[in-house]
Amino acid sequence: MATVAVEVVYRGVFQKSLAKEICRGIVFAARKEGRIGTAFGRYGDSPERNGIPAKQYAVVADGEEELEASLSQYEPAEVDVTIALDDTLCKGVESWAWYGLQPVNKLVKENGTLIVTSVQSPEDLVRSIHRNGVPYNLAILRGQPSFSGLWVYRDDHTDVRVLGALSKSCPQLFSLASVEETVKEQWRSDLKVASARRAYERLMTRLVEPGEGNPEEAYSYHLLPWQEMREGVVVPAVPKGNGFRGGDKGFEPARNPHFKKFATRSMRPVVNFDTCAKCSLCWLHCPDGCFDITPEGLYDANINACCGCGICEEVCPVKGAITMVNEALFTENGSQYELWKAQGKEGYQTWVGEKVTAQKGFGQWSHGYHHKGQYETELALASKEAQ
Amino acid sequence: MTTLQSLSQIRGVKNVPWDEYYTSGHRTCQGCESALALRLMAKAAGPRTIVLGSTGCMYVANTTYYTTPWVVPWMHTQLGSAGSAATGTAAGLKALMRKEKIKEEPINVIAVCGDGGGADMGLSAISAALTQTEYNLLIFLYDNESYANTDIQVSGTSPWGANTTFSPPGRVHRIMNRRWKKNVAGMLATGHPECRYVATTCTSYPLDLQNKVRKALTTGGPTFIHTLDPCPKGWDYDPRYSHELGELAVETGMWVLYEVQDSKLTLNGPSKALANGTKQRKPVEEYLMRQGRFAHFTPEDTSYVQRKIDDMWTKWWVPGVIPFQNEVVT
Repeated sequence: MATVAVEVVYRGVFQKSLAKEICRGIVFAARKEGRIGTAFGRYGDSPERNGIPAKQYAVVADGEEELEASLSQYEPAEVDVTIALDDTLCKGVESWAWYGLQPVNKLVKENGTLIVTSVQSPEDLVRSIHRNGVPYNLAILRGQPSFSGLWVYRDDHTDVRVLGALSKSCPQLFSLASVEETVKEQWRSDLKVASARRAYERLMTRLVEPGEGNPEEAYSYHLLPWQEMREGVVVPAVPKGNGFRGGDKGFEPARNPHFKKFATRSMRPVVNFDTCAKCSLCWLHCPDGCFDITPEGLYDANINACCGCGICEEVCPVKGAITMVNEALFTENGSQYELWKAQGKEGYQTWVGEKVTAQKGFGQWSHGYHHKGQYETELALASKEAQ
Repeated sequence: MTTLQSLSQIRGVKNVPWDEYYTSGHRTCQGCESALALRLMAKAAGPRTIVLGSTGCMYVANTTYYTTPWVVPWMHTQLGSAGSAATGTAAGLKALMRKEKIKEEPINVIAVCGDGGGADMGLSAISAALTQTEYNLLIFLYDNESYANTDIQVSGTSPWGANTTFSPPGRVHRIMNRRWKKNVAGMLATGHPECRYVATTCTSYPLDLQNKVRKALTTGGPTFIHTLDPCPKGWDYDPRYSHELGELAVETGMWVLYEVQDSKLTLNGPSKALANGTKQRKPVEEYLMRQGRFAHFTPEDTSYVQRKIDDMWTKWWVPGVIPFQNEVVT
């Protein structure tokens, strides 16, 4: 080996500390094998925003010169392993200051590995990952994606489990023994050593052939070169909105056409139009202004504009009228209102019921801190269940 | 003085205008209440408005790569320049109208700044703007209690004890931000007797926020609004609770809603109920324990904050506004 590059793709802020712990661990474990390395975040992803995909890298080399050669690049052109810390990122990554969707496996080398923390089946994941021109391995680290915030870290062992998995998927990087030694030194916990080993033993891997995966072309935008920009860097304003779907009733705001929020979300609202009380609170409290007002005065969450925060579910006074559902359960981004119109009450209720029931399979929804002591209680409960 | 727009008070959520002037397509965090503050503000102000934005989250997250979520004209201005940009724009419009270069009509001028831009760096420029009584302008300070854009550094409005990148709690010193939150609106209201409208608000009370924006714009002269916006990134909480945390800030008495119009002070909404005793203040613990930035607090720290808030409500001349003791020594 000369250099080995690992990329960690994660949800900004929610998994920032987790990604940092992993990249740091990679460098320390590589040292055990007499190699040197460095860990760094992608410049363009800073400042990170909650939920918006971001990347950190760890590059490991045999010698200083090789490491420096790889560091002269802005980011690695290809990586041996990509680690996706949230499985909904398999639908694609649109980072903070980058326009267009990037397949999650874009940088993975031929016969490289994509490690995903997920409770989904390999088949479901392969369906949502864009096709790659080369064969690669998909490794699944079973478990809920780990989310916390900027200050309080959710220490659910995901960090060391990823390192254990990495030693299996990429043995040229380091051995399990080096990982165990590093975890013992850096984290000083035998429990975490055991977690790393268990992840190594239980990692499921499946080869993905070049033709497999989501056949869609990932969307991209034309970025204006400076010669085409207007004098004084004037940006044309967004036009005023119109009636719903261009009609004369209801309202649909015009939106910034260059920002689709598909990759920003890990959940999306499912609106039950049959129980909606038309109170307008979801629409009023949405920071992204994602709700379109239909001619009947219903509120249709425009999935192009929703970033998945969940405030609408919280402020909705009717129980079950809005439910946040995992993004993994959707393959398209169409209007739910139009689905409701097309399918009628019965069909639509079946659809809503299916989504809400399937959501329960993903367990308790947590995108960070709820109250003091929450992580400790949850982790104690989880380890009790594991035993 | 140019005439003012007539913007009526909004009675009930059903009467909130549908039109958006700050629309979707900004790259803010999930659950960003500062974005909601701008959305509501722009809705209330209407189409004939110019917005000036100081550097901060609401500049950087809104304007990356040659795109914008603004429907009304918006211009970036430097971090400490909200006050000067507002004065300059209002003066410029007035001159253009006097010289008949543009049609004579009332145009709202709103300068938006964050707590770093408004409560720290731009305070002097805002103070200067509030003395220029011949111009109609509104300074709108959105307060997420830190320099949130650059990954959460302490600002003059960060609460006591909060964890930030400049005040990480350590083993020896647990409380690293030992400064109490600046009383910005109170300071500006008492310090600028000719300023005809100063108010505080919070995004969890959208009608209060929108009506205050309309009052500021229809009162005329230089005006100021300070809004508290829960920030899921810096405060460290699940974004779904943004709305609830704003309510808790007000219900625990940590944040006070009021307005000063032509020297007449009114407490609004829940703050009014807390002051006249029809509602009891919730313990501050309910607010603090919901946020990761206070996760290191011991019971002593919580009771210190509670004591300070109790003092504010019982010993201040006007709770949340004027921190002098009740008695005047003559």
